[in-house]
Amino acid sequence: MSAHLGPTPLRVVGQRVPKVDGVDKATGVAQYTVDVRRPRMLYARLLRSPHAHARIRHMDVSRAQALRGVRAILTYRDVPPVVHAGQPQPRAGSLARDQRILEDRVRFVGDGVAAVAADHPDILEEALALIQVDYEVLPAVFDPFEAMQPAAPSLHGTDRNLVIPPFIVRHGDVEQGFAEADYIFEGRYETSRPMPAYMEPDACVCEFDPSGRLTVWISTQAPFMVRGSLSEVLGIPMSKIRVICEHMGGGFGAKQDLYQYPYLCVLLAQRTGRPVKMEYTREETFVAGRSRHPVVIELRQGVTRDGRLTARQARFVANSGAYASHGPGITRVGTNALASLYKCPHVYIEGLCVYTNAPIAGAFRGYGAPQAYFALESQMDEIAAQLGLDPIELRMRNMFQPGDRGPAGTPFREVMLPACLQRGAELIGWAEKRQRPADPGPIKRGVGVACQLHSATSYPAVKEAAGAVVSINEDGTVQLLIGAADLGTGAKTVMAQIAAETLGVGLDAIRVVSGDTDVTPYDIGAYASRTTFIAGGAVQRAAEDAKRQLLDLAAQELHAEPADLHVTDGVVASRSDPGRRIAVKDLVASPGGRSARTIVGRGTFAPRNDYSFAAQFAEVAVDTETGQVEVLQMVAVHDVGRVINPTTAEGQVEGALHQGIGYALMEDLVVDGVSGKALNANFADYKMLTALDMPKIYVELLESVDDLGPFGAKGLAEDGVCPTAAAIANAIYHATGARVRQLPIAPDRLLELIP
Amino acid sequence: MKRPVTLTINGERQEVAVEPWWTLLDVLREELGLTGAKKGCDRGDCGACTVLLDGKPVTSCMVLAVQADGRQVVTVEGLAAPGHLHPVQRAFVDYGAVQCGFCTPGMIMAAVALLNETPHPTEAEVRAALTGNLCRCTGYAKIVQAVMAAAQHGGAA
Repeated sequence: MSAHLGPTPLRVVGQRVPKVDGVDKATGVAQYTVDVRRPRMLYARLLRSPHAHARIRHMDVSRAQALRGVRAILTYRDVPPVVHAGQPQPRAGSLARDQRILEDRVRFVGDGVAAVAADHPDILEEALALIQVDYEVLPAVFDPFEAMQPAAPSLHGTDRNLVIPPFIVRHGDVEQGFAEADYIFEGRYETSRPMPAYMEPDACVCEFDPSGRLTVWISTQAPFMVRGSLSEVLGIPMSKIRVICEHMGGGFGAKQDLYQYPYLCVLLAQRTGRPVKMEYTREETFVAGRSRHPVVIELRQGVTRDGRLTARQARFVANSGAYASHGPGITRVGTNALASLYKCPHVYIEGLCVYTNAPIAGAFRGYGAPQAYFALESQMDEIAAQLGLDPIELRMRNMFQPGDRGPAGTPFREVMLPACLQRGAELIGWAEKRQRPADPGPIKRGVGVACQLHSATSYPAVKEAAGAVVSINEDGTVQLLIGAADLGTGAKTVMAQIAAETLGVGLDAIRVVSGDTDVTPYDIGAYASRTTFIAGGAVQRAAEDAKRQLLDLAAQELHAEPADLHVTDGVVASRSDPGRRIAVKDLVASPGGRSARTIVGRGTFAPRNDYSFAAQFAEVAVDTETGQVEVLQMVAVHDVGRVINPTTAEGQVEGALHQGIGYALMEDLVVDGVSGKALNANFADYKMLTALDMPKIYVELLESVDDLGPFGAKGLAEDGVCPTAAAIANAIYHATGARVRQLPIAPDRLLELIP
Repeated sequence: MKRPVTLTINGERQEVAVEPWWTLLDVLREELGLTGAKKGCDRGDCGACTVLLDGKPVTSCMVLAVQADGRQVVTVEGLAAPGHLHPVQRAFVDYGAVQCGFCTPGMIMAAVALLNETPHPTEAEVRAALTGNLCRCTGYAKIVQAVMAAAQHGGAA
């Protein structure tokens, strides 16, 4: 909105500074949860159900118990029967409590039924094999539409197996809107089950000290949610739980759930009096992790002859799998996304989230929006083709204006989609490539576009806040304490840049401390696209608070007005009389032997949300004889507000494109429709793009400078994956005339549709 | 029954007693405390555990410790003297090739192995050399840039 450049140019914000923890990671020194090792530590693993739906009649652990080296075994009889939520956001509007640590019922292949702790990992497999479980197998259902039928087996006793009551978005009157339409377009879009596939497997180490204090090292995006959930479910006061996660090997949303394993690991540590480590195998991260929700979207839109949308009606049916996890949240976000992106006066969208006996779907980058935009942006392309309009022109005719309400219910402060579309079109050579004559041979090239807009936060479902503390050391260096976790995105670096810029000190003067609930202020967790926006705002405020204290002290020392003082490179000086100056370190701890002053700045930031925008363009080459699609290039133009660090910001989009292209073309955890077993739960059979497969990608960041976030920054992390699949599907249509409405666009599926 | 093996790790000779089924990766991580090499899949698919064995890159989860008996192992911890960075490590940090960092040690070892053999690779050669190393954060864009930059600055140090 309004330009918000400070009086002096920015020194640290906007710079490509290397990551503050880059050297630790590149030298192998950085300690991840899987690297934690404690004296006398035991190792633990879960026994998992081979059945998609069963009741446990009887369990016999005696033979496993007798195995040498086995220290403890837990079954449903040994754990507190507390029903709790997998998505542990304490104030989420859409919480569903449906999980137990263990119970006498399993609902998917991979549901945990027992946990074993032993002296050495070598023993675990044998111990698990010795546990005898007598299952009464129950009928199972894997398709959400079948699960909603009256005769379907019920997973949790809810109406039609719905996780939450239908989520409805309604504006205007769709019947009227369809009556005003010249054409009506209808389509059924079906999305797949990709996995976050973070490189660090889920893991935790739990240890009690003799006074009953619990320390949990865990690979999590949300240390405070872990602490809160363990406290609530296990009845341990928060003051006696310390959750630590200094470095983590990716999460992409999934590592904000609380799975069964941390509870069990705590209970095993309690029972044995020894530290216990639990580390997932790669197969477990697939079958017992969290996938993106497979969604079926039935979408119907009315449009006038000149390309104006008059009505949009849709049903968004998400397959939650065996438990709710983030199903309520993604249903809400996906349904809202379907109602948005382009202006439409009459809208009725119904979001359904359905339990089935499939593996659990949860939070994964984009959180419902990639599914919604695959459908919406595919259909926009269909409309443009039918009306003979350029796809960009159709989008321009239905563009929101500033002040219109966005998907989270708050108004757009500005709408940057036109700028993203225009720049992307230039970069890819849109006008020329759209008119290029069809390639003569079997390999056909085409270009396509898709857009997205996304909220940085999970408002209004969660009213978020972040906290930060800035403490000035005696030598003028700075400890920056943030509650936010760094999944690997570079959050610590960006927070350090914001603090250094605000305080007027060098980046190397800042030490960022994060991921330790005993030390840092509260933060709900690193999810959505929130950390730079919200936690960055808290850091800015904490640094301003500390700076104010410094300037007040300096004003006394220098006999100056605080407003006349500025801090540069660790020195406070007068603007009007530059000779009057004092080093920050001398303000904090004066050379005269006086004891050091306590200068601690505090900041919290609790905005509602802000929207960021993107247009992505794909160029593909399709082999019409084999159905093989090669992405030749991707152009991604993202408006993210002020870029705090171009390197880490580009990295977010580049990584998201990797996941987005995989979503479009290959990634899918295949679940057998009879047994419910995941058929490709490993990196050999679950295909992701390698370095050799990745096409050329061009990322350009537009900097609309908004004044809400820190230095005008908005959200970015999720956005990059939201439009990619539709952009590729639209390019495939342009190349071949084949409209694929189902992900992934595998060669066999495409070949059937090529005219 | 455990048996002793002698490994030369990062230039230091070490005797370790290992079970015959233990992998080189497990011995590095669990017995020797060298946790730079990561266990991402334990079946040779992801490359996070890549180390140099007699100068060649191997996924150390697919090598039994007994097979490494008497051989030279270089891990990410041994690439440069304390307080220094190998040019590939430097480039990974400077070019933003490190995000979560979990694939980084294996990725760096694969890149070092490439540059030792081919000091001035083409981009296609870099990409081919890294196909055995999965990364989920970067889309490989800045990783490839970093390896190319390290090659220009004499990365085969």
